Amino acid sequence: MVIDGIIILEASGRPIVQTNFRSKGPAYPLLHIDAFNNALSETQYANLDPVLSVAAHHGPSACCHMECGGLRFLCPVSGDVDPLFAFSFLQTLVEVLHDYVNDISPTSLRDHFDVVYQLLEEMLDNGHPLTTERNTLRDIVLPPSLWSKVLAVAGAPDFSKTSANPFASPLPWRKLGVKYANNEIYFDINESMTAIVNKNGTVLSSQVWGEIDTNCHLSGMPDLLLTFRDTKSLQDCSFHPCVRLQKWSKDKMLSFVPPDGSFVLMEFRYSPVVSGVVSAPRPIPLPFTLTPSITLSENGGVIDLTLTSRLSARVIERIVVELVLGRGVTGASCTVSSGATWGFDPKARRLRWEIQKAPQGASYSLRGTFSATEKPSPARAFQISFDISQNTFSGLKVDQLRVQNEGYKPYKGVRGKSIGDVEWRW
Amino acid sequence: MAGRGLNLNNFAESFTENASRLGARIQESFSEHTRDLGRGPSSGYFDATEDRIKNIRKHLDSNSDREKLDGLKTLIALISRGRNVSEFFPYVVKNVASQNLEIRKLVYIYLLRYAESEPDLALLSINTFQKDLTDYNPLIRSMALRVLSGINVPMIGNIVVMSVKKCAADTSPYVRKAAAFAVIKCYQMDASHLPSLIPILESLLKDKSPLSIGAVADAFQEVCPTRFDLLHKHYRRLCRMLVDVDAWGQVSLIELLARYARSMLSRPGLVQKEGEQSDFVDPDLQLLLSCCEPLFMSRNPAVVLAAARIFFYLGPDSQRSKIVSPLLRLLHQSAGIERVVLSYLITVIRNSPEAFIPYYSSFLVKTIDSPNVKRDKLRILVMLLSVDNFQALLREFVVYAEDTDHEFVSEAVKAIGRCARVIPDSAPNCLSALMEFIKHGSDAAISSSVLVLKTLVQNHMQNGQSAASTASNSPLRIVGELAARIGEVKHPAARACIIWLVGQYASVPDDQPNQGISGIAMWAPDVLRRVAKTFSSEEPVVKLQLCTLATKLLLLAPDHQTLILLARYVFNLARYDMDYDVRDRARMLGMLLHGVSQEFRLTNGSMDGAEEVVDRGGVVLRREQVKLVLFEGKLQAPEEKISTGGESDILGSLEAVTGRPMSLGSSRRLPDWPDEGTDSSLRDAEEEYPAAPVTSIASRTVGFGSSSKFSSPASRTPVGGPSPQGSFYNNNKTSDANTPKSTWKDLDKFYEDGDEESEEEEEEESEEDEEEETAETKVVEEKDDSDAESDDDDEGPGSESE
Repeated sequence: MVIDGIIILEASGRPIVQTNFRSKGPAYPLLHIDAFNNALSETQYANLDPVLSVAAHHGPSACCHMECGGLRFLCPVSGDVDPLFAFSFLQTLVEVLHDYVNDISPTSLRDHFDVVYQLLEEMLDNGHPLTTERNTLRDIVLPPSLWSKVLAVAGAPDFSKTSANPFASPLPWRKLGVKYANNEIYFDINESMTAIVNKNGTVLSSQVWGEIDTNCHLSGMPDLLLTFRDTKSLQDCSFHPCVRLQKWSKDKMLSFVPPDGSFVLMEFRYSPVVSGVVSAPRPIPLPFTLTPSITLSENGGVIDLTLTSRLSARVIERIVVELVLGRGVTGASCTVSSGATWGFDPKARRLRWEIQKAPQGASYSLRGTFSATEKPSPARAFQISFDISQNTFSGLKVDQLRVQNEGYKPYKGVRGKSIGDVEWRW
Repeated sequence: MAGRGLNLNNFAESFTENASRLGARIQESFSEHTRDLGRGPSSGYFDATEDRIKNIRKHLDSNSDREKLDGLKTLIALISRGRNVSEFFPYVVKNVASQNLEIRKLVYIYLLRYAESEPDLALLSINTFQKDLTDYNPLIRSMALRVLSGINVPMIGNIVVMSVKKCAADTSPYVRKAAAFAVIKCYQMDASHLPSLIPILESLLKDKSPLSIGAVADAFQEVCPTRFDLLHKHYRRLCRMLVDVDAWGQVSLIELLARYARSMLSRPGLVQKEGEQSDFVDPDLQLLLSCCEPLFMSRNPAVVLAAARIFFYLGPDSQRSKIVSPLLRLLHQSAGIERVVLSYLITVIRNSPEAFIPYYSSFLVKTIDSPNVKRDKLRILVMLLSVDNFQALLREFVVYAEDTDHEFVSEAVKAIGRCARVIPDSAPNCLSALMEFIKHGSDAAISSSVLVLKTLVQNHMQNGQSAASTASNSPLRIVGELAARIGEVKHPAARACIIWLVGQYASVPDDQPNQGISGIAMWAPDVLRRVAKTFSSEEPVVKLQLCTLATKLLLLAPDHQTLILLARYVFNLARYDMDYDVRDRARMLGMLLHGVSQEFRLTNGSMDGAEEVVDRGGVVLRREQVKLVLFEGKLQAPEEKISTGGESDILGSLEAVTGRPMSLGSSRRLPDWPDEGTDSSLRDAEEEYPAAPVTSIASRTVGFGSSSKFSSPASRTPVGGPSPQGSFYNNNKTSDANTPKSTWKDLDKFYEDGDEESEEEEEEESEEDEEEETAETKVVEEKDDSDAESDDDDEGPGSESE
């Protein structure tokens, strides 16, 4: 499978990087940039079709795109290619760039555009993905570092050149000869909930997806064996290529030689086990309830919201309740309970209510009115996001981490964090 | 002395001067560099001014690596900005042999972009690359090969092929990977290299490293997609390697194996075993399926989909449900992926909705979804409607009909109509929901509801189901309700629809009590009156229907004075309308009414000065005949299609996502299953069965044998072993595996019996056989080498994950 190339655009629509269009002629990337900018001029990015059809003189093609750090990553494909291929390449590219420039932004990419070019040259060969493992790439393309900048200024030859022995590791995801003074490995269990709640407060669907982000600083070639306390509630698991799938299928243990640095070890869906039966997704209870009441009139409306935490032990943080009030709405004025703030974004016509910290069982309210030039038609649902730190919905616990192959005992850290996005209809 | 002192003085002076100058320069350059340090190393290049561009040449010619880098970075930045910088080619090419790896890489990037336009100058660099191919560093070797094959200069084609051949036998899998990709580039540059490229591919196919095999699969697909004969020996090994290959390679390899399996293996089906039906799956196909199953656990969505394609297009029906949860898992990954996977799911669910019904809640629409996602989710929900979930889904549709996106609202209303048709039990609920929209809904909801109601009413009346519906929802009540709301309905098509419904169902049997004009429902004339008032401002489609309504009502009550007046008013306006369709329709309907209402004809005619009133000749229809013309023979309302995707959508193709045909058409379509699979011994590894060419012939004859022997040549259920020919040759093979002559004898015998058709084939067969034989001997020759080299890679991830 082949993609045609990669274009990186600034928010203004100007290209920063465009590469690998050798077989297509110079007009081809321009066509895609134009098509993308035209489509964007008609709608917001969020409403733009992620796969745009583009008519090129070679025949039809499509432009797959995603956004990251204020930049748009475009991946044109022609021929009958699976767009998922393009999207997963874009995803990989973003991960690699993130590794190289830390935070992806127009400035950081412009500063290091030569590195981006070198990376793309290694990652794509005539449209075929070539070397995409970050650990291998680090051997062959030098990450921009302060040290190399200082050396360049001093005019000294740069000794921290690419590894003298690239491609030597038998595992593409791990470098040879990694050495750390302190051997440590951290697991972040991040879970995110998405839910839809209907008018009368019934949860129509709620799912919890988890991800184990790992940051590994271990010397040599450690072979790890990670076991969890309870794996029955983990469904639809997917893993980093380093994980031995057979071992998981058989013993529900993670056996792997980890990449160096940070990576996503596994993803899963949390599905509570009910008397040993795993069936279709069952709604998972939400950590709060919202009682909305909105009355609309000819020139505005009255809004009255109450939000109550249902947790008995934990604090919900950064609860943000948003509602798009719709066309013609000019302003709003509300009063909120202490510990909360509200705001109205006149451009997006969005009402925003933010609660910094909601302790167990606490209740908050927002009352107010909004005015409009015509009869308002607000969005049919509130969008609510929240965080719960130091806690996971699944309660997944690491039982044991064994290191084989290496003599040291690493320091290991496990952390949990939950976030949520809820659509609450009224 | 004085002179000397002066000299000394001079010297000291010049020294201090020089020193201070030097100092200033050092300071200057240092401050310049520290400025660089502060603002980041490259942003300066990106916003290069014309000044800087003038300096590029000087920089490239300089001796300092730093200045060269400077020049090259400025060049790359200009390329980024879309500027043509081919004029610098000669200056860049000089630096191709630089010792500095970074310079070289940038030179390569430049070279690859402009080599085609400067082929002569590009040739200057060839020597360097050829030298690099022998470098100790695999990175340099692979880079050199990539650039060499990427310089699109046909003149050096042979050199490139030679280099590729050399690299294909490299010890580093990374270089072999580059070689596989280079094979594609050679082929694209000049297809006449094919004969020399195929042996390279053959040797690459033996690669035991999972790192490079994906690239080999890509090259195979690109260069010789139909040479499955080369794959027989490797099929099983490739299947087993699948799990260790990198994600991109998995996608390519799965695709290749899928095409092989669809061309060479027998179609899975059902067999009768001891009175029970059970699945028959070719063991080699089962191998592919079980090797693909772990890939559902990949984090790469393209891999998951490739594996799903295998189960969807190759697996037996009983194993298809395995793709359900992996595909649903992809939905939550990112907006782009969700959008693409939804359109694939439409294809999957159309084929087997049952498997997805329990998961309908994954498809509930959110208000923040993008328009495409909303549309696709709704289509899926409609396909998942069932007796058990229709109430929940109907509630959802009602919510969606309140959305702010008008198109989505009308889709949602159509979904309700669809629900009423698909699940008859839900009809009363659906009707009341639709009536509710007409009372309180938005404009978009009202107009779509009317259209949907029209279809429902029409179907109801024609199917005679009116008895089943409750009194409050009887079709006539609905029409009455609609008639009462004609003033609130703005959408022209919807208005026209109501008017048509009113006309069509206005007649009331005489024996029923009726407060209005006898024979006509009491709400009908009022609609005529109200719309006639606004006739001039209506759209043509409404005017046309109003003429029809006037005619129909007059037909039902030919002597009613008010109706005659109203009809005459309408017809007079229509006769002089701007739209010729309206004028024509009025004239035609007026003529039809000739034999119906004496009074209408007189009054109507008297207004018509230009034409003769009474005798116009031709046939005048009687009232009953006109009734037949106007009221009867309506077609069943067409089933409204909600899903517009083509039935032939292919999972994993761009076509299925954009809905537009791609130039290459169905390159993602898998070949049809063969009538009969090839013999499995074909795929035995060569070590076990050295006499391979013979077995391949034997298996083909099995195919012929069964087709000539059995009455149905296209028998779709492959047979395990009952074919006499099959077992015969199998026996032969086991006993006389190393005596090909005896097999030949049997073949001849067979061909004597066979019909003429197979004789033609025979020639082809033997030709192919020769090819295969030669290929085979080469393979055997090269075997030793490849074994030796692949030992190095055995420590690879392959062995890791055992």
